[in-house]
Amino acid sequence: MKFLDSLSIPREKLAAFQLPAHIAGTVAALLGIASLVFPWSYSHVALDDVAYAGAPSALQFNYLGLAIFVAVLFAVPLVVRKPGKLRDAVAWNTGAKFGGIGLFVVGLVAVLAIGLETGGLVNVDPGGWIVLVAGILALVAGLVLDPSPAPSMGKFKTPRVVQILAIALGLGAVLMAAAFALSLDGAGAFLFYLVFAGVLALTLVRTGVFGWLAQCAADNKQVLVLAAFVAAFVFPFTQNGSEANMSIATQVLIFSATALGLNIVVGLVGLLDLGYIAFLGAGAFTAATLSGSVYAATNWHPPFIVTVLISGTVASILGLIIGTPTLRVSGDYLAIVTLAFGEIFRITMNNLDGTDGPRITNGSNGINNVPELSLLGFNFGAPHTLLGVEIGRFANYFWLMLVVLAVIMVVFVNLNRSRIGRGWVAIREDELAAEAMGVNTFGLKILAFAGGAFLAGLAGAVKAHHDVSVTPDQYVFLESAFLLAAVVLGGMGTVLGVLVGATILKLLPEKLRFFSDYRLLLFGLLLVFMMRFRPEGLIADERRQLEFHAEDEELAEEVEEDLINYHDHYNPDALVKEELK
Amino acid sequence: MDLFWQQLINGLSLGALYALIAVGYTVVYGIVQLINFAHGEIFMVGAFGAFATWVVLGSPKQLSWQAAIFGVLPAMILGGMIASVAVALLTERLAYRPLRDAPRLAPLITAIGISVFLQEFVRLFFGDIPGMPDSKRAIPFPTITGISGEAWHLGNVTIQLSSVFTIGALAICTVFLWFYVNRTKTGRAMIATSQDPSTARLMGINVDRVIMSAFAVGAALAAVAGVAHGLRYGNIDFRMGFLAGLKAFTAAVLGGIGNINGAVVGGLVLGVVESMATTFIPGQFGSPAWKDVWAFVLLILVLVFRPQGLLGSKGVDRA
Repeated sequence: MKFLDSLSIPREKLAAFQLPAHIAGTVAALLGIASLVFPWSYSHVALDDVAYAGAPSALQFNYLGLAIFVAVLFAVPLVVRKPGKLRDAVAWNTGAKFGGIGLFVVGLVAVLAIGLETGGLVNVDPGGWIVLVAGILALVAGLVLDPSPAPSMGKFKTPRVVQILAIALGLGAVLMAAAFALSLDGAGAFLFYLVFAGVLALTLVRTGVFGWLAQCAADNKQVLVLAAFVAAFVFPFTQNGSEANMSIATQVLIFSATALGLNIVVGLVGLLDLGYIAFLGAGAFTAATLSGSVYAATNWHPPFIVTVLISGTVASILGLIIGTPTLRVSGDYLAIVTLAFGEIFRITMNNLDGTDGPRITNGSNGINNVPELSLLGFNFGAPHTLLGVEIGRFANYFWLMLVVLAVIMVVFVNLNRSRIGRGWVAIREDELAAEAMGVNTFGLKILAFAGGAFLAGLAGAVKAHHDVSVTPDQYVFLESAFLLAAVVLGGMGTVLGVLVGATILKLLPEKLRFFSDYRLLLFGLLLVFMMRFRPEGLIADERRQLEFHAEDEELAEEVEEDLINYHDHYNPDALVKEELK
Repeated sequence: MDLFWQQLINGLSLGALYALIAVGYTVVYGIVQLINFAHGEIFMVGAFGAFATWVVLGSPKQLSWQAAIFGVLPAMILGGMIASVAVALLTERLAYRPLRDAPRLAPLITAIGISVFLQEFVRLFFGDIPGMPDSKRAIPFPTITGISGEAWHLGNVTIQLSSVFTIGALAICTVFLWFYVNRTKTGRAMIATSQDPSTARLMGINVDRVIMSAFAVGAALAAVAGVAHGLRYGNIDFRMGFLAGLKAFTAAVLGGIGNINGAVVGGLVLGVVESMATTFIPGQFGSPAWKDVWAFVLLILVLVFRPQGLLGSKGVDRA
């Protein structure tokens, strides 16, 4: 908002234009709705075929939803003039501001996508231009509006049933949106939808609706987590046996699980591990060796449960070997030593091919033909029909990874809240002070390092079976940098942040093929910009945020309050004492 | 015994290459306590800058050795230095300086970002500069008459002239660096800043400028190393900075990070250990495929038994 203020005329001069701005914004949004009557493009190729007059495509219906929402945001303050419960509940003006910007951005993306996909702006039909004009008008109207006071919606007392219903509906919407996004084939359509979803979410946040949803979520944490897992569990049913999408989804889960393990090391303890992918690789190679594949060096083929544990243990032993010497010295060394370790791992796996070393991994060919998993007689490779929907191989692995991810999340959250987790955060914030307070810094750092490696080993064991073959070139440094980017982008130290970061980083390159050549360039820039402008990540952990913005008094108070509440919650004595006073 | 001397020469020339890069890590670390992870990429940019200079000079081939060694080669080194120093100063100004008071994780992550960015930038866009070849694959480095492919023979020991160039360059750079750090005003300001930045500031030292000169000195030496690398291996590619940077960091830690003499000694020791390992470790583990592993094992061993490095790490005041 600061940057918006700096670019607009002083607020006082705009006071007279508030009413016209509301009217103009409403008209703009209605204009956007009217555009659906016309074709947006002359060609059928652009977006998801927006060439028919009066028959909106799926994407256009989404646009319709956004336009109606923005129209309401602009119009309600016109109708409800007096302050009251309705007027104060939602930040109408602020919402309208962002809605206006949103309509503009979405319109711009639509026109550009049509122009790029059909080879020229000539192919944009009246509908497309109307969308752009509506966007510009809405943008100007939005910028003129005064921001509204903080919305009171977050403080509403709502019956529990309504709250749970809202959570269910919200997650259902997210699930539908995800399934819909995956079903879009064209890069332009996918990008348009992504921008649309982002803009809608931002507008909702700014109106204060999210404040209320966050309250619902905070009041019903268990319900939320359970519902989220149910939604993820149902996901394969929305894909109608589309193997490609399920494969992407499973890769996203494997990536998230690994990133979550890395998040313990980087996000909670503040140790930069640049060779984390080696632990995933160690798990994968161990599992492949014990899988009974004809290329494996041993014939011993224990049940998968045992394999998983061995894989995790091997990874964590490697973590101990690398961590013990380096964790004693300054943290900076750790970054480079883990990087060197990642290289040692990759080279070693390459060399254990029978000529440069004993034959264990078949060198650069890797271990192929890793058989499908079979757990308690259930074959993960065979497709079967469930509730009338064909469930393929990747869906099976998706569900398995979901369970693994759930285990890792439970470990993460509980560790974070425990004495160990508080020790870790203390080390991150100030190692010397933590040590002075009696925190066993070396022990805790080793625990984090080996524990994180164990979790990566678990994920690696599943990955070996999912990928069918395990080769050393899957575990290069760039993959480690990629994992780190997921943690940094999403938010160090938070579960949700890492899930979001991992999903974005894994999904975007899959769907936006045209930018795959620039992928790494953009990730490099992303790391630099995140550290410069939002080091706490998209979804920030409050305490973490405070470390990066030490001068923010308001935030400091908030964090302190949370800590006190948290303390009271776990120390009933403190409350009793309070009452006695 | 001939094998030993041969490997010693090979190791020293490889080590000289590491040492030239390692100085950049150590100087910057001594002053801002930052591991400039992107330094390997600065080295790569230096090599590409030298190559570009050669193209700008009209890709001269078949010169007399006098013209090649005293005309083209210095021009290439200078061009490489301009490129690497410019990039190093830009990264310092745009990325590191705003984070100087941030938690330590922030500049490290930024450094990784810069490293990936520079690699990809060169890969994608170097070929777009008019006259430059496509950089997605390795580019053959120009041959310098009188150095490339020439060798001296001492008994059964062969000494490549590119090795002589590398070792000579290291010797000259070390002398220059010693003079710069100990005998110039900027050099003494560097020592003061590494000992105590805030007091140095109170004494009227422009700390920002000192930090910039530290980055510049490191980058200039890295450019020399870039040319030496090109002459030694005959080609350059956008990935060359990753492994070389990692080895050079190992060298800097080995000698004691923050200590310029340490970086030189560490580089030479690392180079010798690496080439000896491929010859004198018996069995399969002595094959050249393992040489990088032995270098990194050495790094880990140093951290266990002598984390302060061979010469101790005390900042550039020991230089």
